[in-house]
Amino acid sequence: MNAIDGTDRQIKTDNSPPPSLLAIVLDTNPHAWAHLSSTLPLRNALANILVFINAHLASGNANEVVVIAAHSHRAVFLYPTPKTPTPRNNSNGNGNGAANGDVDMNETGAGSMEDGGPKDVSISDNPNKYRPFAVVESAILQNFAALLDATTPAHLAATPTTLIGGALSLALSYIAKSTLLRSPLDSVVDNPLSALADSETLHTKRESLTSRILIVSVSGDLANQYIPVMNSIFAAQRKRIPIDILKLAGDTVLLQQASDATGGVYMKPDRPEGLLQYLMMAFLPDTTARRSLVMPSAGGVDFRAACFCHRNVVDIGYVCSVCLSIFCTSDLPSNLCLTCGSYLSLRSAQTNPPALVPRKKKKKKRAGGADSTTPGGSTPAGSGTPMHS
Amino acid sequence: MADSDYEFEGDNGSDDEYVAAKSKSNPRPPPTGKKRAEEPPRKLHAWETDRSRTVAKELPAVAEADDGSIQRSVQEREEERKRKRLRKDTKPFQRGIIRHVVLVLDLSESMMEKDMRPNRFITMIKYTQEYVREFFEQNPISQMSVLGMHDGLCIRVSELSGNPAEHIAAIQDLRTPRNPEGVPKEPKGSPSLQNALELARATIYHTPSHGTREVILVFGSLLSLDPGDIHQTIKACVRDRIRVSVVGMGARLRICQEIVSRTNAGDESEYVVATDQESLRELLLATTTPPVVRSDQAATTASSDSAAALMMMGFPSRVIEDVPTMCACHGILTTGGYRCSRCSAKVCSLPITCPSCQLTLLLSTHLARSYHHLFPLRNWVAVSWNRALEQGSRECVGCLSAFPEKPTTKGDVSKNEAGDAQKENASLDKTARATGEQQADKDDSQDQKASESSRYECRACESHFCVDCDIFCHMVLHNCPGCLSKLNPVPEAHSNGDAGMTG
Ligand SMILES: [Zn+2]
Ligand SMILES: [Zn+2]
Ligand SMILES: [Zn+2]
Ligand SMILES: [Zn+2]
Ligand SMILES: [Zn+2]
Ligand SMILES: [Zn+2]
Repeated sequence: MNAIDGTDRQIKTDNSPPPSLLAIVLDTNPHAWAHLSSTLPLRNALANILVFINAHLASGNANEVVVIAAHSHRAVFLYPTPKTPTPRNNSNGNGNGAANGDVDMNETGAGSMEDGGPKDVSISDNPNKYRPFAVVESAILQNFAALLDATTPAHLAATPTTLIGGALSLALSYIAKSTLLRSPLDSVVDNPLSALADSETLHTKRESLTSRILIVSVSGDLANQYIPVMNSIFAAQRKRIPIDILKLAGDTVLLQQASDATGGVYMKPDRPEGLLQYLMMAFLPDTTARRSLVMPSAGGVDFRAACFCHRNVVDIGYVCSVCLSIFCTSDLPSNLCLTCGSYLSLRSAQTNPPALVPRKKKKKKRAGGADSTTPGGSTPAGSGTPMHS
Repeated sequence: MADSDYEFEGDNGSDDEYVAAKSKSNPRPPPTGKKRAEEPPRKLHAWETDRSRTVAKELPAVAEADDGSIQRSVQEREEERKRKRLRKDTKPFQRGIIRHVVLVLDLSESMMEKDMRPNRFITMIKYTQEYVREFFEQNPISQMSVLGMHDGLCIRVSELSGNPAEHIAAIQDLRTPRNPEGVPKEPKGSPSLQNALELARATIYHTPSHGTREVILVFGSLLSLDPGDIHQTIKACVRDRIRVSVVGMGARLRICQEIVSRTNAGDESEYVVATDQESLRELLLATTTPPVVRSDQAATTASSDSAAALMMMGFPSRVIEDVPTMCACHGILTTGGYRCSRCSAKVCSLPITCPSCQLTLLLSTHLARSYHHLFPLRNWVAVSWNRALEQGSRECVGCLSAFPEKPTTKGDVSKNEAGDAQKENASLDKTARATGEQQADKDDSQDQKASESSRYECRACESHFCVDCDIFCHMVLHNCPGCLSKLNPVPEAHSNGDAGMTG
């Protein structure tokens, strides 16, 4: 690695590629990892991912990494370590605690604060280890341990899936903020006049940080998070952030669509135990490097829609014009939408052939209006033109 | 108000208020009225609003205060400006997701005015291209056509279609034609609102009733030279349930107001006037949010043909071919594409209406793109110092950037405050919880202000966010990272959307 690092630096001094921010969403669903334990224990997987993170950090001086765990009951930052809130008076806080998981937060918080904060200073003083690697490693391991400690059997029983939607949202908002902070034009605080400038149109020029998201996914069935995940996909698409998927187990069409829509890599390795190999070969190149590489492609992507009533995959579906629910049949009970309850008529669903605006009316108008320059009156003849629309 | 001449319709509020009323996109008059009442009675003109006042008032303050507060006030103003952009479409209204929009551009000589740089015409061309892109981003299964009011006539710039590239190219052609023989359509002559409305009406006359029919007029002139009685045309538009929105420039016009109010069931908030190019852009972009479906409208049309419909749609699969075959949409040889689920005709891109069997073809992801209009993310509220201390939030939940600490310059005062605050909070907490839903509604209807503590709170999950995340989550992401990071945080979290649809 040192050799690679050295050669890279030489090139970089001449023409440094933009710094790259890698957001890793690690699916830590205990059920799924338990399933995988015979081939790829979580311990090994984590070690492989840490090597991969080091490789990423080593391939650029300014490269950054953010790691988010999508756990069964929470999605949390593993690195950088989040500061836990310090509510003013805990005694008063019993009113707002219990219900919303604040108690959890405090428990883990207390843990990570107690050993996370001070230990930042005393990271393993191994002189043979590059310090930034050690910092990232210890933070991830500590926070992950804290997360697992805070997981109770009740949490696991509650859900078989993971909060990918939340983790993606965290990753995206973190990336959005980092991009904003890195933007050379972000001098608004110094110069209030630039507040008048059009920040939205400047965004394209501001992309000085290239970011990508890697989801290491082990659990399937994200149906309950369809909308949040979809929203995240569209946000990533708009911000040109590729979402890479490394699917170690389970299968989700949703994540496949995510990588397809955002131009990321989708991989479902047959042999999960070779995790490091897959990570290094397929997912290490950043967006800048990918332009000159042939990246593995997903092949066919399943875009077909599933109906909301039976989850059947449909070619031709019936869509409620109010809430856009998809149904496999036009025979809804008493013609009411199953999702939003609107009364739906199928009659108008049949495509209306374009109707011509009645001629007569137009003629009258033209007669009524001034003569000559009234092509407004005569143009409706052209109303037949949007036939194909 | 001595300056207002007859072109101002009374004192209908400052131009800033038009923005607010517009983006509120709530056509019911009562809230607007209530909002008016809450505001200070004196209305401001553009030259009296923020930007100009900044110079007059802020400068002395800055000079007197110490460094910390300069930074603070500037930052606060910046945040306020950012938050103003938040669209306030956070109430789950029924919206017309399937839109048929005719965009009418003013190409008359008044567009040569140079109050926008370099002139109105070029500014408009620039912004409408961006507008079209954003429109189809927000309304992927909608259709649009572009018309132009040029030299007394209304010309068709692009046909009704759902392909943004087509419209953008056509708009570009107005200024710089692609084919060498083409002549740029420089602004010329007078506009005719009547001709424009008639052609627009003809364009969307045949569209199915479950979609909206909208005309969006970008109107820079202060006159309309019509061949006939425009009131007849307005009547016809009302009959065909066409809604007209006008983005004016310079001043308000009586006739535009009438057109808008008649076609929007008496609601005039769809008539807005841009005072400068930035406001033109914002007003245009505000119309990309799907309009609220009016209940009265649904009622009137229910008898003839229901507003809601079950639409048959095809979800085609992608085909990959080695040999080029003819596509049905352009009639050219292409490799790959999508095959119509009903008639197997090959089309190049989606969404599209199958050219041979008229079936609407799209991907389920196109439908998903509109879901955030149906399940909007509630606006977050500004957090007071007391609340911030109570929660003890130290960094943004979304991006982990540190929040500022409460300034401790006025030491003993803040102690007192804190003491008071505790009592206050204890009582506030109860009321807030009791009236949580009402509170949320109130927050939604209130103007978005900057927070003194630079924190913004999601009411559902009580997470605190920075202003950048606030903007990002509401404008781009449409998710609350806080709510989604906890399993079943609170029931309200589902206003964010994942419950009903997938069930
Ligand atoms: Zn079904
Ligand atoms: Zn419905
Ligand atoms: Zn084609
Ligand atoms: Zn077909
Ligand atoms: Zn933030
Ligand atoms: Zn929330």
